[in-house]
Amino acid sequence: MKLVIVFTLSLCLPLMALAQQRDQTHKAFPYDYAMDDLPNGLRLITVPTDYPNLVALYIVVAAGSRNEVEPGKSGYAHLFEHMMFRGSKNFTPEERDAILKRAGASSNAYTTDDRTVYHEVFSKDDLEKIMELEADRFLRLQYSPEVYKTETGAVLGEYNKNSSNPIFKIYETLRATAFRRHTYAHTTMGFLEDIKDMPNQYDYSLQFYRRYYRPEYTTIILVGDVRREQALDLVRKYFGDWQRGDYRPQIPEEPPQDGPRTAHVDWPAQTLPLVAIAFRGPAYADDRKDKAALDLLAPIAFGENSDLYQKLVLREQKADLLEVEFDNKIDPELFTVYARVKNPQDVEYVRDEILKTFALFTRELVDQKKLDATRSHLRYGFALAMDSSEAIASALAPFVALRRTPETINRLYALYDQITPEDIREMAARYFTEKNRTIVTLAARPDAARKEGGR
Amino acid sequence: MRRNFTALVLLCALFGPAMVFGQTKMNDGQIATVLLPNRSPLVTFRILFNTGAAFDPPGKEGLASLTAAMIAKGGTRTRSYEEIVEAMYPLATSFDWQVDKEMTVFYGTTHLDNLERYYALIREMLLDPGFREEDFKRLKADAINFLKVNLRQSNDEELGKEHLYNVIYADHPYGHHNMGRVSALEKLSLDDVRDFYRRNYTQANLVIGLAGGYPPDFVSKMASDFAKLPPGERTTVRFATPKLEPGTHIEIIRRPTRSTAISIGFPIAVKRGDPDWPALALVASYFGQHRSSNSYLYQRIRELRGLNYGDYAYIEYFPRGMFQFTPDPNLARQQQIFQIWIRPVEPQNAHFTLRLALYEFDKLLRDGLTRESFEATREFLSKYVNILMQTQDAQLGYALDSRYYRIPDFATYMREQLARLTLEDVNRAIRRHLRTDALRIVIVTEDADSLREAIINNRPSPITYTSPKPREILEEDKVVEKYPIDVKPENVRVVPVERVFE
Repeated sequence: MKLVIVFTLSLCLPLMALAQQRDQTHKAFPYDYAMDDLPNGLRLITVPTDYPNLVALYIVVAAGSRNEVEPGKSGYAHLFEHMMFRGSKNFTPEERDAILKRAGASSNAYTTDDRTVYHEVFSKDDLEKIMELEADRFLRLQYSPEVYKTETGAVLGEYNKNSSNPIFKIYETLRATAFRRHTYAHTTMGFLEDIKDMPNQYDYSLQFYRRYYRPEYTTIILVGDVRREQALDLVRKYFGDWQRGDYRPQIPEEPPQDGPRTAHVDWPAQTLPLVAIAFRGPAYADDRKDKAALDLLAPIAFGENSDLYQKLVLREQKADLLEVEFDNKIDPELFTVYARVKNPQDVEYVRDEILKTFALFTRELVDQKKLDATRSHLRYGFALAMDSSEAIASALAPFVALRRTPETINRLYALYDQITPEDIREMAARYFTEKNRTIVTLAARPDAARKEGGR
Repeated sequence: MRRNFTALVLLCALFGPAMVFGQTKMNDGQIATVLLPNRSPLVTFRILFNTGAAFDPPGKEGLASLTAAMIAKGGTRTRSYEEIVEAMYPLATSFDWQVDKEMTVFYGTTHLDNLERYYALIREMLLDPGFREEDFKRLKADAINFLKVNLRQSNDEELGKEHLYNVIYADHPYGHHNMGRVSALEKLSLDDVRDFYRRNYTQANLVIGLAGGYPPDFVSKMASDFAKLPPGERTTVRFATPKLEPGTHIEIIRRPTRSTAISIGFPIAVKRGDPDWPALALVASYFGQHRSSNSYLYQRIRELRGLNYGDYAYIEYFPRGMFQFTPDPNLARQQQIFQIWIRPVEPQNAHFTLRLALYEFDKLLRDGLTRESFEATREFLSKYVNILMQTQDAQLGYALDSRYYRIPDFATYMREQLARLTLEDVNRAIRRHLRTDALRIVIVTEDADSLREAIINNRPSPITYTSPKPREILEEDKVVEKYPIDVKPENVRVVPVERVFE
């Protein structure tokens, strides 16, 4: 088998690595890694560390709820993640559990808009057995209609556990209001009506597998007490026969927003009012300034150290929560600020203060010192979070789903270094327009009937 | 600035495993320390006081938490909280707090480059707190809203789990949520906070936990700074195992919600370090390892029947379990409960699922573990302990807990104890400590009255599935749907959610 070696760095010998790093420009992802592509399109990223004994295995499938293009079929990426634990040709779920148990493994998975990630941490001695186990479900998943139907009950249970939280509800409503065509309109859980219909959709679940559980959609990340050659041998041995697919989804493009939108949720129980203010923002990019500039603005304008936070939360104490969310996504994503308001009479005031802050940064330049402090904040924050092999793999996974290489992290942070106050003002003015805006509020109305499902 | 980040590559540096319990001598006393020196470029602090919610004066429940919040999320005498946030911002670090019954811990991690700046801030926060009126107003409102909104109205699972503790520890110093009671919080004053700080933040209660690549003289510098605290006296309070009225008692919390959450528990007189603790830890892992499909209850309730998202068992307090896979350290207690956590089910299946959980628990008590289950679980735990302690912060937290429980470092303790354990030990521990004669159950649901009626009348609760089930399961369901719950009607109470944590 011929292997295409894309990029290789030496194994991590601490002092050597330090010496190398001093010679290079500083990198936000400071670990040496190797990246190898198999002919079938599967990619392996190996990051050896000196954290002893443990290996973190993250398998990233670049498909999530964004890929749920058919109407009535929301929630299947996540349902599918559940099915991946329900047996494969050579291992029943019970055998799978028994192997992972013997390995002392922590094993789980998560799904989000753009990716599904299967992750395990275990002792290095069990690496081969676990690679064999993983390959079997990725290449030879097998589950019966009965097992499928049973698992849809667990998915409904997951919806249920989330549903008591008003923050989940306002998020669900915001997505459904701000997006009309794109699949970001539904949360990863899916619309409740679709979840309820899942038991009848066994065949569709298999189709999801055939489309996306393919080597060209998948990247294997191995971090920890592991050598590249060993990892590569195992990946070749167990994943080498995996057949490339040919499905390319047509993700509906969201047309430009034609004007401001609003929605309101009557929450059928006591709670404090919530406000969500969102503007249609850009997609992830490591080669354009749009997203990077707004990433830097997010903590400056709305973070714990922002003037607005200090005013609303610390001094006036009108809100007890003020948070900004602006994820890295494949397609254009919302730049959202959430607030929880202590007194229902202050909802409009808090909303207007947030709107004024958005408007302010479309006109005025951010302070250069604050911008520099924010760059430092983002870099240290990213670096401090990588404090174990598992944490390094976990930090890599979202970026790997977007660009399939750790290098995108270095490019992004290099881009942060180039952003000027003028760039930030320009991007704020470009994206924070009234036409691009969606506002959702939620307030307690205990006599209201429960409205379910998000649309 | 550039070198700061490249130096992080030193994370590849080998971590020394040495854990040192010690006392740093001062002129007029000693300060306890737990040190994990290594070559990491990160320095982790866990500054622990042996005080907590169990030391809240009666009528002032919430004072321990509010005092800790005032220190970690409030200003100092010379700096406002805004100024502290601003100073920490470029360091991308924070100083956090956690209060449990007997422990209050302040923790944070900084890069070695910023050690002096970070330490100067946290030293001032801990030793020279401002106790400012505006912080007090904000943090008191936060505490009240945490109970009234976050717990009562946003998270049925945590609501049920926390209320279970309050039911079991009624009339006990553990008998209120760590954040307090709403009615007591409303009456607290800044003078209460000052008084609690003066009495409890003493050298005698202090343990300094430090890990990472800090300089050699750093510990003595810290100890001499902290000698500013009053000497105080070592707490010798003994908390008794609660004596519960015999029989099952059920509280059904009524609130508008689309599903039903269930928690079951009872006190156990076993804590980490006690002879039977490793055996019970193995039982809890076998029966309901947290967030793992590798456990018996999960397989019976979720995997075979699809009734909910997960089902777990515990022998130590594990708050916020829906958000994390591993427990936070520094929740060490003299008293613990055995707990079963049934994640929300569809209301029409609630009675059946409760019966199923009790049926399985009875089976565990009757049959114990098989040799195969015992050995597989033992192997799992012997390795899994490494996963619990992956980060420097977790290692330091566990080391502080090991000091409290008077055991060697946790990984060594677990491996040695598990290696020594026999199947007979485990099954004996089940018979000795697990029981059904004084169960406490908390359920969160909307139609509380109907569920209560069904339970007290032991009404059959047949279940229907969307998919065909194996004969073995259907046969078992016939037993489960009529499985008697032996509870007197007066011991099944419906509680409006507004009364919980009040």
